[in-house]
Amino acid sequence: MSAALRQVLCLGKKTWLTQVVALSRAATPQESRLCAAGDVLVGCHRHYRSRPTHGIGKFKYLLPPEAPKRRKDRIQMKEINVGTEYEYGDINIQMTSYDMCLVEHFARYVHKLCNRLSIKVNESYAMPTKTNEVLFSEERGSKMQLDAVLTTHQRVVQISGLSSTFAPILLEVIQSNQPEGVHLLVKEHTEADFKIRLKARPELEELLAQMN
Amino acid sequence: MEAPIAGHCGPRGSAMAAPGQRAAAGWGRRLCTAAAPRPWRLFGALCLLRLPRITQPLRREEEEMAALMGQIELEKSRYSDHEIRKLEEEEQLKRRKESMYDDDEGPGKTVIMAQDLEDKWEQKLLQFKAASRITDADKNNIRTSLNRKLDSNLMLLVKQKIGNQELWLLPQAEWQAGETLRSTAERAMAIFLGDHIQAKFLGNAPYGLYKYKFPRSIRTEDNMGAKVFFFKAFLQSNDLSQAELKEDYLWVTKDELGGYLKSEYLKKVNQFLLDL
Repeated sequence: MSAALRQVLCLGKKTWLTQVVALSRAATPQESRLCAAGDVLVGCHRHYRSRPTHGIGKFKYLLPPEAPKRRKDRIQMKEINVGTEYEYGDINIQMTSYDMCLVEHFARYVHKLCNRLSIKVNESYAMPTKTNEVLFSEERGSKMQLDAVLTTHQRVVQISGLSSTFAPILLEVIQSNQPEGVHLLVKEHTEADFKIRLKARPELEELLAQMN
Repeated sequence: MEAPIAGHCGPRGSAMAAPGQRAAAGWGRRLCTAAAPRPWRLFGALCLLRLPRITQPLRREEEEMAALMGQIELEKSRYSDHEIRKLEEEEQLKRRKESMYDDDEGPGKTVIMAQDLEDKWEQKLLQFKAASRITDADKNNIRTSLNRKLDSNLMLLVKQKIGNQELWLLPQAEWQAGETLRSTAERAMAIFLGDHIQAKFLGNAPYGLYKYKFPRSIRTEDNMGAKVFFFKAFLQSNDLSQAELKEDYLWVTKDELGGYLKSEYLKKVNQFLLDL
């Protein structure tokens, strides 16, 4: 491919046409091969360095410089916004229930409601499920143990920027639409709430204690 | 849009706007001067709501949709542990009956089969009796009890004497200098229901405003009319036995309000009532 190009450049204008024809005939099967391979090297479209179109299509230099990404980024706690007098800061709406579908539907409803009312939703996450085993022991005659396994699911929707005049209306709407069996808890976001989501690393803590 | 404005700059701001309006043509919101008389008397009224205890019954389309979705989900779902266990045991039984050999019997197996568990659960379910949705108070239409209409909001209405008329109103009390309008509403609640009511106010902002002018006979320069600011509170406890209700009271739903309240008042009250 490059050999053919070099030929075109070296020869004069007279033989240019014939060489171009040869080039195009040589180019098309190669081009189809390249395109058929689906390769990123669309070499036939490469604008050579001496041509004025060199570098056309580059855009990375226009973007603002990105901080270099470290591979293991420790999950930093985002600053908790403590609200002013007329606005609430970060608020957690926690929904708990035994029925997972119900609580997920309700969380989805609350999220979409906040979107519709232009309330900023920071995040919407789930807490790990807690499993409770309930053992009944009947003491009439033969002691039987009936087991029941209850799973408790919790979903949290975090919003911010709720004005104090609008908060009671939103709370009332969410309360009236609460399904049966779902507990609703609305509270301000604290550091403890953030730490609960992270897992404790006992070995690391042991080593740190040993060091100190 | 009086209510949000009133809530935002405080109740005194709106009272001050009124003489400003009388003096100048536009809405001049001047700073309050203590010397200027207030021609509007302020009241704080309380809309005490009992939240619904059970959900409303599904409408026909909702029921059909729920049934269809349930069917689709059932057909798309996988077997749970319990169902797999049940199927395996059924197969075991069938094999044993067909081939009639009894290895695996062991010394008197006391394994509880999945089918037995299901039967036990069925029996337990039959023993459980749910309370009825329509209570006695519903059937007899006793409007003073809280057990009525378990699936909708109930509001408190009190008969109060205004001027020389006895009217059905949301409980209200006159605003006294130095207290916020919300505490006026709390005071109204204490007057009519006693001190031991657990009601939750959700915010400091009023929900609605009703303005009326006194009839010409009583109207003076200083006493043009009254403004009633509505606040909402939710009843936390269902037990009102400790409440000392002195005058006539009623618990009504939004639809029944029309039979008791005057039309202008009703219009303003309906504006802030959510009936979902």
